[in-house]
Amino acid sequence: MVTSKSEVLVGRIILIVVLVLTLLPLLGMLSAALQSPDRLPTGLAWPTNPHWENFVTAFTVGHVWVLLGSSLLIVVVVVPVSLLFATLAGYALGNLRVRGGRVVLVAMVLGLTIPFEAIIIPLYYQITSYGLLNTQWAIILPLIGLYMPFGVFWMRAHFIGVPRELSEAARVDGAGVLQEFRRIQIPLARPALSALGILLFLWTWNQFLLPLVLVDDPDKRTMAGALGAFQGQYIDALPLLFAAALIVMLPTIIIYVIFQRQFIGALLQGAVKG
Amino acid sequence: MARRALLTGWLFLLPAVVAYCLFVLYPLLTAVQYSFYKWNGIGASTWVGLYNYLQIFTDPTLLAPIGNALVLIIYFTIIPVVSGLILATLIRNMRQNAFSSAARTILFLPQIVPLVAAGIAWSWMYAQTGTINSILNTVGLGFLSRSWLADFGTALPAVGLIGSWVLTGLCTVLLLTGMGKIDPSLYEAARIDGAGWFRMFGAVTLPGVRQEIVVLVTITIISALSSFDIIYTTTKGGPGTTTLVPGISIFRLAFVQGQVGLASALGIVLLILVLAVVLPVQRIARERD
Amino acid sequence: MSTFIRAPRAVVLAAAAAVTLLALAGCAPGSSNASQGQSGSVSTALTTKKVTLKIQDETGFPVTSNLAAEFTKQHPNVKFKIVRDSFQNLLANSPRLMASADAPDLIRLSTLGSTVKDGLVTNLDPYFKAYGWDKFSAGQLASARMTTAGVRGEGSLWQFGLGYSVTGIYMNQKLADKVGITSVPATIDELEADLQKAKTAGVLPVQTGMQDGVGTFVLQALINQYGDKAKLIDWMFNKPGATFDTPASLKGATKFQDWATKGYLPTDVNAINYTTMVANFTAGQGLFMWDGNWDAANVQKALGKGGAQFFLMPPTTKGGKYVAMGAGNTFAIPSKSKNHDTTAYFLNWIATNSKARQIVVDITGASPGGDPAQKLPTVEKGSLIETALAMSASVGKDDGFTDFIANTTSGIYQGALQPDEQLLLTDKITPDAFTKAIQAFYEKDLAG
Repeated sequence: MVTSKSEVLVGRIILIVVLVLTLLPLLGMLSAALQSPDRLPTGLAWPTNPHWENFVTAFTVGHVWVLLGSSLLIVVVVVPVSLLFATLAGYALGNLRVRGGRVVLVAMVLGLTIPFEAIIIPLYYQITSYGLLNTQWAIILPLIGLYMPFGVFWMRAHFIGVPRELSEAARVDGAGVLQEFRRIQIPLARPALSALGILLFLWTWNQFLLPLVLVDDPDKRTMAGALGAFQGQYIDALPLLFAAALIVMLPTIIIYVIFQRQFIGALLQGAVKG
Repeated sequence: MARRALLTGWLFLLPAVVAYCLFVLYPLLTAVQYSFYKWNGIGASTWVGLYNYLQIFTDPTLLAPIGNALVLIIYFTIIPVVSGLILATLIRNMRQNAFSSAARTILFLPQIVPLVAAGIAWSWMYAQTGTINSILNTVGLGFLSRSWLADFGTALPAVGLIGSWVLTGLCTVLLLTGMGKIDPSLYEAARIDGAGWFRMFGAVTLPGVRQEIVVLVTITIISALSSFDIIYTTTKGGPGTTTLVPGISIFRLAFVQGQVGLASALGIVLLILVLAVVLPVQRIARERD
Repeated sequence: MSTFIRAPRAVVLAAAAAVTLLALAGCAPGSSNASQGQSGSVSTALTTKKVTLKIQDETGFPVTSNLAAEFTKQHPNVKFKIVRDSFQNLLANSPRLMASADAPDLIRLSTLGSTVKDGLVTNLDPYFKAYGWDKFSAGQLASARMTTAGVRGEGSLWQFGLGYSVTGIYMNQKLADKVGITSVPATIDELEADLQKAKTAGVLPVQTGMQDGVGTFVLQALINQYGDKAKLIDWMFNKPGATFDTPASLKGATKFQDWATKGYLPTDVNAINYTTMVANFTAGQGLFMWDGNWDAANVQKALGKGGAQFFLMPPTTKGGKYVAMGAGNTFAIPSKSKNHDTTAYFLNWIATNSKARQIVVDITGASPGGDPAQKLPTVEKGSLIETALAMSASVGKDDGFTDFIANTTSGIYQGALQPDEQLLLTDKITPDAFTKAIQAFYEKDLAG
């Protein structure tokens, strides 16, 4: 497309302005996080005497090691289990085309639109009756259920795209369904699985409402959930709160920068498929 | 053989179905059940029929959050999608280089950050001594400065714009991908017809990304209506009830005020509201196909 | 969402049928039995077994940690596990925490709410008798009592205070000197004159905030002085027929709004929360700050010894009686606790052991409560904490303690006071509409 020079220039300027606006809140928070923790921070300015130790303080006061452990534990259970369940179901719906599968599909469509707030109350009483309140399981189990609609749709879409001749060929070779699934389908599904895995990781890490309601001990929450407790009286100096918020963001940002391409890809496909 | 295949298939389905029924469908049905009771969450409950729903539609303090959530659609849906269209067009017209890919990376960043952290970052932007006011002071517009989240006039737009910040990148990048799939010959044909930039945008680009727009509108409307994290970390519904949304009301009613039945009813109303807004969007999209 | 499919009628029907079944099956949520896990007989001898008491407390108030450490030092067989969350989260979670299977042994409980009716808290009457708590000041225990009908101030004892707070007004001495204030005001009129003096001199008269409702201290201090405090207490204790819609409330709300209009309060008052308020005041912004003794140590540390004064809200006329908000830092023993006796022993120890009482004063600056005949812990001469203890004593002498209106019902603070005071201070509602709105919410919340 041919565009005039002035158009290109205007376009660039607009884009740069938007980029600055995008980064501004994060930079503002960084500048405030580096100010003296004894005072209210002021304005957007690089402090002359940056208090980098605020990050260390926030790290210890906020029990960040414990939180990282807790978040990791939750992610390490939720993501693989959800992936497994979703893959199995997606295969049944997309490849085996099980009779009656359509009902499952329709029932799950509803799940794509349910706001968490609509079911958080009964979930609370349900988890209480299982005696799991205030444990990481209170976050893990519901999340697996809540991820099913999206996960199943995602994996079904993948398996629909896999030529059925492939599995027929495998059957001719005498492979059972299970064998075929393990030897042929799973390796083929790797890109879809890794994209889904990235999404589920992100959603779990950033989950806020479930930990807020179901786990009262901030040390057993997800990172984002614990940040909510910091905001109370846990950390009453704003610079420390900002430092803590930046620490919480850091792992996802690092992973994002490393796996940028897959990340954007995953979220985009997720949007279209969802 | 057919029966065995059916059995195998259902065995594959079983874990997902059980997890879904146990932690989504069952709680949903229970929520419907609770919504017919008056219950403080601990003691005995009494059946009140549709009274809770009646209360929601007659009590202005319960209707206000629903109205606010609908207003948020402007900021969560309209602004991000429109600016997404503009930005995607700009990036597309640009030569592919380090700048354009950096732009994509940065624009997408807000989508990665937990909403709680976004809320905290933005509450500093809007604070009395925060980033926006300090910029206003620097450029001589200090008289405009205020506590943006505490001002009755600016609080709702202010939290709405946080939503715009989070979602614009997603819209841009998705629309960019959509535009990449448009056949270049369409633009060529339009140009031969003497179409200008605007006509081209209207006749070729917009129809080309219709599917993406539908998807984005759906996702962003759901996040507008069910917003919780951002409001919880910035205003908690204040000042007054200007930024109160259903999510916050549900949380407060159920877990602070012990009105579990009423809170459940509000949750169901929220779900129905989401469906009532999202389903027509889907229908329009299907009819046009 | 391209995968939206029209739901087949069968699915819809099945869902409808399931809901109807659930509803008709009569499986109403909740249990109706509010049984009390009370054994009747209690023991005042400390167990010799190894036990770990679980305490649920709020963040930012470390006194339980210090007390627990000292107790374990004296009684090594009793250990503690203390879990903390923000006040707001704790407020939201406490009834459910107490109902859960692993309920804590001791929980910070600022409002009884419906916990008594629901059988969640242990009746402390047997311990009251066994330990002789009748020697304690009755006024201090009044707000911890509740009848089975839900009226506070009478009936059985359910809560125990770890120290008793008193609220008053902090004055920045440097700013006072600057605007020419020589002594603390003795009447509300004098106070208003001082506010005007500060305003004229370009000093912010009052540092307060309403984002989280902390400015309610100011409002209630006014209401307390403008009418019969017994009426307000009846309302806070949820006596049948009690109302907030009184001339005193109206006058207080009118004055509060008036102060905002005159520019005595920060212009961004609705953006300031408790933390910011204290930080602003200690940074020298604001002549006066309505706050409690718990900040005495903070203020003194920031402004230096003699840098601030702390005094009681003055009465309307010279020599009138002092009225001040004050409450126990109240805890309750959940009925599901398995260590009632040990926990009660711990509570009694806090009020009677001299080391424990010293810890309460040192850490919180609050009066340790207990038997008034017992020796008061030593405090630094001329410190704000010393002032606070003296203030506490003089209010006690005037029988002038009232609870905080924020504790009236469990939902009133976030649901009504906070949003409606925000409206009041920005002239969005009249004082009359304000008092009526609070009362309307109160009735709705009690009807629950």
